[in-house]
Amino acid sequence: MSSLKQIRFLLGKDLRIELRKKESLVAMAFFGALILVLMNIASGVGKQVDVESGAGILWVAILFSSVLGMGRVFAREKENGCVAALLISPISPGEVFIAKALVNFSLMLLSQLILVPVFFVLFGTNFSGGPIALIPILLLVNLGFSSAGTLISSISAGTRRNEVLLPILLFPLILPLTALAVKATAGALAARPLSELSGQLEPMIAFCLIYSAAGYLLFPFSIKED
Amino acid sequence: MIRKNCSALLAGLAAVLLPVALGMVFFYAPMERTMGMVQKIFYFHLALAAAAFLSFFVACVSGIMYLLRRQRIWDARLAASVEIGVVLTTLVLITGSLWGRPIWNTWWTWDPRLTTSLILWFIFASCLILRAAVEEEGKRATYSAVMAIVGFIDVPIVFLSARLFRSIHPTVIRSSGVALEPAMLITLLVSIVAMLIFWAAVFRLRCSQYTQESAVRDLQQQLQR
Amino acid sequence: MTESSGSAFLSISGLKKSYGGLEALRGVDLALQQGEFLCLFGPNGAGKSTLLKIIATLLRPSTGQVKVLDFDLHEQPEKYRAQLGMVSHQSFLYQDLTALENLEFYATLYGVEQPHKRALELLEQVNLTARADTLAANLSRGMQQRLTIARALVNDPSLLLLDEPYTGLDEHAASVLRDQLQILHSRKRTIIMVTHNLRRGMESATRLGILAKGKLVYLQEKSKVDPTSFEELYFRQLEAL
Repeated sequence: MSSLKQIRFLLGKDLRIELRKKESLVAMAFFGALILVLMNIASGVGKQVDVESGAGILWVAILFSSVLGMGRVFAREKENGCVAALLISPISPGEVFIAKALVNFSLMLLSQLILVPVFFVLFGTNFSGGPIALIPILLLVNLGFSSAGTLISSISAGTRRNEVLLPILLFPLILPLTALAVKATAGALAARPLSELSGQLEPMIAFCLIYSAAGYLLFPFSIKED
Repeated sequence: MIRKNCSALLAGLAAVLLPVALGMVFFYAPMERTMGMVQKIFYFHLALAAAAFLSFFVACVSGIMYLLRRQRIWDARLAASVEIGVVLTTLVLITGSLWGRPIWNTWWTWDPRLTTSLILWFIFASCLILRAAVEEEGKRATYSAVMAIVGFIDVPIVFLSARLFRSIHPTVIRSSGVALEPAMLITLLVSIVAMLIFWAAVFRLRCSQYTQESAVRDLQQQLQR
Repeated sequence: MTESSGSAFLSISGLKKSYGGLEALRGVDLALQQGEFLCLFGPNGAGKSTLLKIIATLLRPSTGQVKVLDFDLHEQPEKYRAQLGMVSHQSFLYQDLTALENLEFYATLYGVEQPHKRALELLEQVNLTARADTLAANLSRGMQQRLTIARALVNDPSLLLLDEPYTGLDEHAASVLRDQLQILHSRKRTIIMVTHNLRRGMESATRLGILAKGKLVYLQEKSKVDPTSFEELYFRQLEAL
């Protein structure tokens, strides 16, 4: 079977599991929405936030809720030793990495379908830019975050403190991506055209490329027991 | 013979050079016009930063070597360099803060170099937390190696993106705007060299400690069988 | 220790594995012909699981070689993995997929033509057709075990590895497993089984071996073994710790 087919097939299996149980998605969306509400209260009920603060709040909610879902994706694979089953099969670890990263990407995207509207409901009255403008930024961050996150979750899932370690290990690494995303989002919310945001988007693309490559190369080491 | 006494040699050298550097900082280097005594932190700050960066570089290289060769010595080197790196980075952040306060009236600033140091601190400190969470030796070594490699890859990214941010912040800090007279330059170089030799001495010591710890653990396990 | 002449199907030479300072395997040599059923006994910590994992390419040896039909396992693992099946004490099953979906998944993974058909065939073989649409999480231990075996057979492997398959099975499930193994063996498959269950192991195997402290201390054709003296030898090994 060709690589692409293998990846699509693995992806299909994971999505089927995720959508069947929906536990990850529900947890992610719920937790994210909760954070947004908390932040609304924390910034003073009734007070309007400016674009920079708003962008920051959105990303805090997205990142923390995504980490929740991401932790489960790999933990589920390790349950019952399914990772070992994949390792002794003809599929290569690199293909597993790509499939898992795509699963995380999809989960993030699906939860954002809920979180972004909630964000605009709670905070959006002041903003000139709408949700559509956020799409390129969301896609880029999802890509970078899921690449780095898949690699790191393969490490944290191998310890007994998976849920605690994942954010501790992942967040420092993605700080530059986050900072760029917040800046770009602030611009988008202020209705700046996409061309003005290229100063942030280009480094974000570089980040995604570097972390996808690094993840692909290092993942085979982190999932083997040896 | 030199091999065996390398640690002692390095330690001895460091023991000599560090006080020399210290002396030079306070007695040889001229007082800076605008900043005065506070500016002298700069020598320590830069020397520490150089040693910290070297530490993380060594950690990354050790990580790569471990994944390729799977020899314990590389894990020892990785552990030692990450530890030392975290300690040194803490000092970099503290000295940076102490320097910044009287000069720019702020305890913290998002200067690209300080930002990079802060994030580096988090990345490698998290690596230490990871090591504490994994008991099995092979796993621990593999995981730390991967973290050290991705952590170090992040460094240029962090630095470049922090640079981009600087253009947005109103308060532009230019610490490299300090003009260096020859006497200052010499003092700086001596400080850096002294610090690096000190780093090497501590590194070797820590590595051999790790190796000994592993040997003791092996013996314990064998006795239990 | 006997050595078989002629080119072996599986040959292991000088296999050593250490985890840091701990030596799990201290030099194992073994040659198996195609179609043999080797049962390995040994106390805990003898290195049995480690040996199986190395043969399954889950672990790399520190030194030594494992060859299947003359090509080195760890140098060309892809060729070999298509022929390998493994039953571990972990089920390798996805809890949130049904029995049928699990088998279909693995069949597709191994590139089996018509995976759906094969999955149904296998379910039939292990008597789980009635449970095709039950989630793996809702199957009893015995049924999960049967499904695990079905999973290992998805690619019709020429080498089958079993790691403590009898653990936690009641008498009924154990005899079902024994019968399954008999059918498998009769089709020219090479099987290596690691178990604590002396009786079951001796029933099914053609060769018996004992692994203790990382070394193969006993290896013999079953036909040449006297059961009582073998048991004695085994228990002596257990006490020797």
